[in-house]
Amino acid sequence: MEKALREKARELLTTGEANVIIGYEWNRRKTRATPAFITKADEVDRLIFNPLCVNNLSIYLTRKNKDILRMGKPAIVAKGCDIKNIVVLISEGQVKREDVVIIGMSCNGVVYKQGLWKGELRPEIMPVKCHNCDVRNPHLTDFVIGDHIDFTPPETPRGMVFDKIAALDAKTPGERWSFWLEEFSRCIKCYACRQACSLCYCERCITEKNVPQWIETSAHQRGNIAWNLVRAMHLAGRCTFCGECERSCPANIKLNLVNQKLVLTVKDAFDFKSGYDEKIHPPMIVFSPDDTENFIK
Amino acid sequence: MENLYLPKLVTIEDAYLETPDVKSFRLVFKDEALRESFTFKTGQFGLYSAFGLGESTFCISNAPTRKGYIQCTFRKTGRVTGGLFDLSIGDTMGFRGPFGNHFPIDEWKGKDITFIAGGIGLPPVRSVILNCLDRREDFGDITIVYGSRCVEDLVYKNELQHWNDRDDVALYQTVDPGGETPDWKGEVGFVPMILEKAAPKPKNSIAVICGPPIMIKFSLSVLEELGFSDNDVYTTLENKMKCGVGKCGRCNVGDIYICKEGPVYTAAEIKKMYYDF
Amino acid sequence: MKAMYLKKAELGKLISSVQDSGALFVGPVVDAGNVVYKEIGSASELTGDYIIPVTTYKQWVFPQTEVVATFAVTKEGVDLDGVDLDPPDVVVFGARACEAASLASLRSVFTWGEDDEFYTRREDRITVITVGCTAIDDECFCTTVELSPASTTGSDIYLRETTDDEYMAVAVTKKGEAFIKAHHGVFHQKRAAEPELVELKLPEPIKGIKKEKISAWLARTDNYQSELWPRLTRKCFGCGACTFSCPTCHCFDITDEGTAFGGERRKNWDACQFDHFTAHASGHNPRDTQFKRWRNRFMCKFKYYPDKFKTTGCVGCGRCIRVCPVRLDITEVMEEISQISE
Repeated sequence: MEKALREKARELLTTGEANVIIGYEWNRRKTRATPAFITKADEVDRLIFNPLCVNNLSIYLTRKNKDILRMGKPAIVAKGCDIKNIVVLISEGQVKREDVVIIGMSCNGVVYKQGLWKGELRPEIMPVKCHNCDVRNPHLTDFVIGDHIDFTPPETPRGMVFDKIAALDAKTPGERWSFWLEEFSRCIKCYACRQACSLCYCERCITEKNVPQWIETSAHQRGNIAWNLVRAMHLAGRCTFCGECERSCPANIKLNLVNQKLVLTVKDAFDFKSGYDEKIHPPMIVFSPDDTENFIK
Repeated sequence: MENLYLPKLVTIEDAYLETPDVKSFRLVFKDEALRESFTFKTGQFGLYSAFGLGESTFCISNAPTRKGYIQCTFRKTGRVTGGLFDLSIGDTMGFRGPFGNHFPIDEWKGKDITFIAGGIGLPPVRSVILNCLDRREDFGDITIVYGSRCVEDLVYKNELQHWNDRDDVALYQTVDPGGETPDWKGEVGFVPMILEKAAPKPKNSIAVICGPPIMIKFSLSVLEELGFSDNDVYTTLENKMKCGVGKCGRCNVGDIYICKEGPVYTAAEIKKMYYDF
Repeated sequence: MKAMYLKKAELGKLISSVQDSGALFVGPVVDAGNVVYKEIGSASELTGDYIIPVTTYKQWVFPQTEVVATFAVTKEGVDLDGVDLDPPDVVVFGARACEAASLASLRSVFTWGEDDEFYTRREDRITVITVGCTAIDDECFCTTVELSPASTTGSDIYLRETTDDEYMAVAVTKKGEAFIKAHHGVFHQKRAAEPELVELKLPEPIKGIKKEKISAWLARTDNYQSELWPRLTRKCFGCGACTFSCPTCHCFDITDEGTAFGGERRKNWDACQFDHFTAHASGHNPRDTQFKRWRNRFMCKFKYYPDKFKTTGCVGCGRCIRVCPVRLDITEVMEEISQISE
């Protein structure tokens, strides 16, 4: 698979179809996968693909990373789940389909966090998204690397995140509130969740807008709640549940619970799941005359 | 406890609208003892508070020779300066300072001095000008080249008139081409061109310069052509600052903390700073 | 002072004794799957199974958010009150030797020129009890930056585990001696035979890294524009995880919170990795791309701190490597710099 990937990368760079391959390479000790930017055909052998390739590289297609945009036309190594984010970026006018070459990777799943890797991909170390994945054969691509994967996700998604959401839903609003207060109390305001998210592409985030100051920047209860709620709400109907925010959080805040709950809510209300069709706009940015809510009419 | 971040309260004694978005304040300390004891040196800056909005950094624009008050001039750009802009005579604000180093004017005795300023760059230079004018006999020729985009944007219009009237000051006022009004009596042209025209003599001479980066850049090459040594050209750097006392890690240009070791530098020193600023 | 001993089983007694004296007892606990430093009530909350906590104990000398003044805006003007800080005594138990060395770096920044008493008053009242490492991981690199699990710099008391479930305690500072005296009931002198100590685990120094080569390379001004900076660091997407988990990072913001009628002024952690950190109101930004911000952090640790404060900016705790979402490994940059300056 890596061989095919490297060949494709070499071809793209040699023909000039792409100026930079955004992919994965080993760290120096060969214990972790890390993002790589390959611009020369003779460096394509650095590219790797394995279950440690957890990063959603679509972050590097956004305007937050201008120095990468300056490198020229990108070809991006993307798993199905990463492609979902590219789809949203295209539907929101952030990336033009023709401006990026998508090298889709057939994928049997990745690890939840790289530190869990012991040389073998076991179900226990995979994130919930992988167990319920319906894009192991990537859906929006220019090329697909890897064999077709036969995998049917469970009809009703399941896993720890869904169990926890059910458990939280069974609680009273008061209990839920205390749960989230406790959870967000660990926030250190490092904004890794925002920076890791390719759909948080604003160049000036609402936390940085101070005329007026919408969100208090201190890492105290008010500031932490305000930030985490605003982050969640800005992703409603857009989040693809790629899990990068939770993986990046140094405080282990259970952001996947928030995100998946929003995904479920949007599915119920609008029968919409983001990340599948780049021609359909997310529900929160379109108005339809038959909207069930009447506040806007 | 010595609280480095606790401002002193000041009252706005006088406020003056310099341009549609630039205001000057004359501030006095609420604490009368402090009014007497407060001293600073020309070129130092302060942190000015609009309570509830935060602090902003700008220079003290009056001269230390005129005691009992502080003057400052600022343009409304963000949250804090916007809040300060809305204040008026009698209102309270906060002041921390003075911070930073200063222009070594005692070393300039007997020398000619040329001041070059653009737009909102005049306030820091004004402190030096006033200081020099108050000790006029200590210095040789005094030349001032000041310009802005248009007539409306010139700050300290009354004072400019006063300097213009003095026969021991050569004042060149200018506006960028297209910025003049029908009754404009000054020059038309960019500051570096007018500086070339003023052609101050480089021997036994000091230049003080402050303004937008592009103006500084071209004026420096004019000064070089005129024969000024980089050691005789002074400027004051601005960088984003929060603490003013070398702790918050924001204003550093490499290992140089502008707030403590600056903001006043010679052109020679700045040329040695290869870091981004 | 001779070495004293402390039974692991009697840690509870030490905690009670510390708490009775009015001090906070801070130690490593498991919280949401991470080992972090937390104020604890009893010994059962402590964990011994950790390499180094994910968070630093910096928060007890330099809190994430700290009120420096309060104000009320009235018709007559402004009532302004400065905080007169009287911090509690804090005992940090289970520190690691690398992190212990960091307080000297923080102190150098907070005391050059004027003293920031919000820092010094807290630091004066903290007692650091270090436990020598008996386990390490791939990210530990203290021995590469001239420290080791055996370093006592910055510790007040240094503990070594014994094979019979005790700690051997050595007072490093006067504060440490005073602590042992104050809680003498918990410490004891050893019986006839010297106990066997559990061997310390030292990370292998990274061979390719030469600190003096890094210093020499950074001192050459043209290297500031080296192609190495963007090449190695462009994957950084600018979160603050590394700075907020770093024991020596000290940058902060000062911000007002409240309403038009009153509120408080706070000193909050900030990060040089954030894109708006150095942005001027005019829009100009001296560090306008991510690699410049990353270069600043690296140079701050390996050039500015050593040059300016004669202290180390990096203690090799490895936290920034562990928390980095893109696995940007500071030792790889150190290694590459060491090698290109061959």
